[in-house]
Amino acid sequence: MNDLPEQKETTLSFEKIKQDVLRPMQNHRGLELWIVFLITVISVGAWAYYVQLRDGLGVTGMRDYVSWGLYIANFVFFVAVSLVGMLISSILGLLKVDWIAPISRIAEIIAVAFVAVAGLVIVLDMGRPDRVLNVMIHGRFQSPILWDVTVITTYLVISALLLILPMIPDLAICKKEIKTAPPMLKKLYAILSFGYTNTPEQHKHLHKMIRTLMVLIVPVGLAIHTVTSWLFAATLRNGWDTTIFGPYFVAGAFVAGSAALIIAMYFFRVNYKLQDYITELHFDKMGKLMVAVCLVYLYFNVNEFLVPGYKMKTGDGIHLKELFTGHWAILFWSSQLFGNIIPVILLVTKKFRKPLPIMIISIFVLASAWFKRYVIVIPTMLHPHLPIQNVPDNYQHYFPSSVEITVTVLSFALALLIITVLAKIFPVVPICEIADQKGIDYKIEE
Amino acid sequence: MKNAIKIIASLFLIVVFTTTVVKAEDWAVPNSSKKKQNPYEASTKNISSGKKIYNINCKSCHGDATMGNMLPLQPVAPSDLGSQAFLVQSDGEIYYKINKGRAAMPTFEKTLSDEAKWMVVTYLRSFDKNKKASKQVAEIKNPEVTDVKLVLDINQEDKKVAANLTGLTKKGDRVALQGIELSIKVKRSFGYLDVSGDDAFTDDKGNVEINFPADLPGDREGHVNLLVKVTDDAYYGELAVDRIATLGVPTDPVNPLDERAMWGTRANAPIWIIVSYAGGVIGIWGIIFLVLFQLIQLPKLAKNKE
Repeated sequence: MNDLPEQKETTLSFEKIKQDVLRPMQNHRGLELWIVFLITVISVGAWAYYVQLRDGLGVTGMRDYVSWGLYIANFVFFVAVSLVGMLISSILGLLKVDWIAPISRIAEIIAVAFVAVAGLVIVLDMGRPDRVLNVMIHGRFQSPILWDVTVITTYLVISALLLILPMIPDLAICKKEIKTAPPMLKKLYAILSFGYTNTPEQHKHLHKMIRTLMVLIVPVGLAIHTVTSWLFAATLRNGWDTTIFGPYFVAGAFVAGSAALIIAMYFFRVNYKLQDYITELHFDKMGKLMVAVCLVYLYFNVNEFLVPGYKMKTGDGIHLKELFTGHWAILFWSSQLFGNIIPVILLVTKKFRKPLPIMIISIFVLASAWFKRYVIVIPTMLHPHLPIQNVPDNYQHYFPSSVEITVTVLSFALALLIITVLAKIFPVVPICEIADQKGIDYKIEE
Repeated sequence: MKNAIKIIASLFLIVVFTTTVVKAEDWAVPNSSKKKQNPYEASTKNISSGKKIYNINCKSCHGDATMGNMLPLQPVAPSDLGSQAFLVQSDGEIYYKINKGRAAMPTFEKTLSDEAKWMVVTYLRSFDKNKKASKQVAEIKNPEVTDVKLVLDINQEDKKVAANLTGLTKKGDRVALQGIELSIKVKRSFGYLDVSGDDAFTDDKGNVEINFPADLPGDREGHVNLLVKVTDDAYYGELAVDRIATLGVPTDPVNPLDERAMWGTRANAPIWIIVSYAGGVIGIWGIIFLVLFQLIQLPKLAKNKE
């Protein structure tokens, strides 16, 4: 489709960028259907959650031994995907990598949606969600739970700011250009554009703020994954009692986040007809980035599993045998192969870094990332230091109940709904930033 | 050669046998307790209710009776309570062991009623292949009494605790009650420490005397909370006397939760962690608010230009 993107770029004018980006926001064929579908799924999930609230956590598959089940695996997954915001717009932005400009906003939208839902998933896992504030009121400074709550809230706020602030010039355009928007939305544009008219002073001022936040989000983003890993690593359980968990989670989050971004890029490119902006070059670059982060993650995996696997201390031995050759072998090896090894092998070839192939590979990577979280959380709970015996049969195995699965689907639908709504009311590709980059002059009228 | 093997084998058996006997003797049961008989008959109903109690309280460690699937604890695994080797004991011995516990085996003195404990004995006895006809042992018969009194006499100098149990007969005489087991206990942080010794049964004058342990810590003044009660409330109902006595070693208590540590309460969190947490939160949110404040200034900058 876009064999020579450079040639097309020369034909871009500010008017064309504006039209191309704003068109999908005004023209929404099929979108209602998609939103109705998501809301239906969410309603069914809400009903399942109501059943869980009414009858207690006994309706889930969780029991005395496996007390962290599907929900926590989900939480870790959502947190992981949300790291993409920090990776793309902040780290690469600060390094002045210029090709990220058209995709950085998509990355921020994913980050906001996933970290918001991650916070919610934790509440969904609580038997008494009415006591959630007690974590803050009675939280101990020594407990990673308190750090986790703090850091997720902080990351959500900074991500939201990093979504809105770079968008202020675009919103000023939206305010002017989108005539068909409902009054509520027009008001939102008016408020969020902060009277921006692109004076040199404003431009400087705004970019100073954005750079501050970009620097700020790096430690917060690292903290959110490190703290999530410490929820596990601060215990003595085999499989969690390891020093590499912090960097291991961060590396895994880079992989999951990149995969989610590539999938989103593909869908926006096709559905919003943004081939001129999200070009093959971007998929190519993202493919290379994916290889890099996969290799880092692979390296941490070798450390995480090979080192204890070499020693096979009694407890670790039981755990690792179950992962390598036992009950969890299929999940474990498929998540390693499809989420790590095969993508690296494929993506070093240029033809697999074309939009469609890399999107399909990313779906595998993302699904594997989810299964990997499942394998991290559940098997460890099933191998306590004292053997499980003389307890009811359903204590000895864990399988998520239909209620748990439905509530999980709810969280995914909710994340997709947030992304859909954000991408509907905000331009997914930064108009002014691209114009700046291409050296196109533009004016924003009051 | 064959003889040599036989000799070695028999020596081995003797050694094994004697060591098991020695092990069994480790858990000494006072003679008076051994003589106790199960007052409940081995009816199907009693056995099944015993089984229920067993499954709730005993099974998690001892496994199923006769199945040998007990928890493999170290250094000593729990016994299979359905095995014949275990059931050679008298009812009273099993009852005593349930009551007192030892090491990893908890005491069920408080958590199970007398009836429940005897039901468990009834259930276990149902696995006994050579059910011995219960031998009637001559028991001391106390006269029927009312107004049972337990009187304590504490000698704080010699650290001796003497208890006396009497009752009023129908004729109006106060007589000593004989052969009744007393529990003499000291309150500690969680539950009670039993200091009764092996044979705290009242003698023919209704007296029990024990030597209080010399090394037991008390509070700053050496006070301890002493509780003396009739062990088996089937005889005279709940009968107990408690007293604060200066029998312990004066001790300044140290609560490990008082120091600042990672395992402490929030109020006792280490300073460095409070500082790091608060510093991180204030620093980062400070910058966020700074940015938000600058954001509000953005419209003003547009007007400046004009």
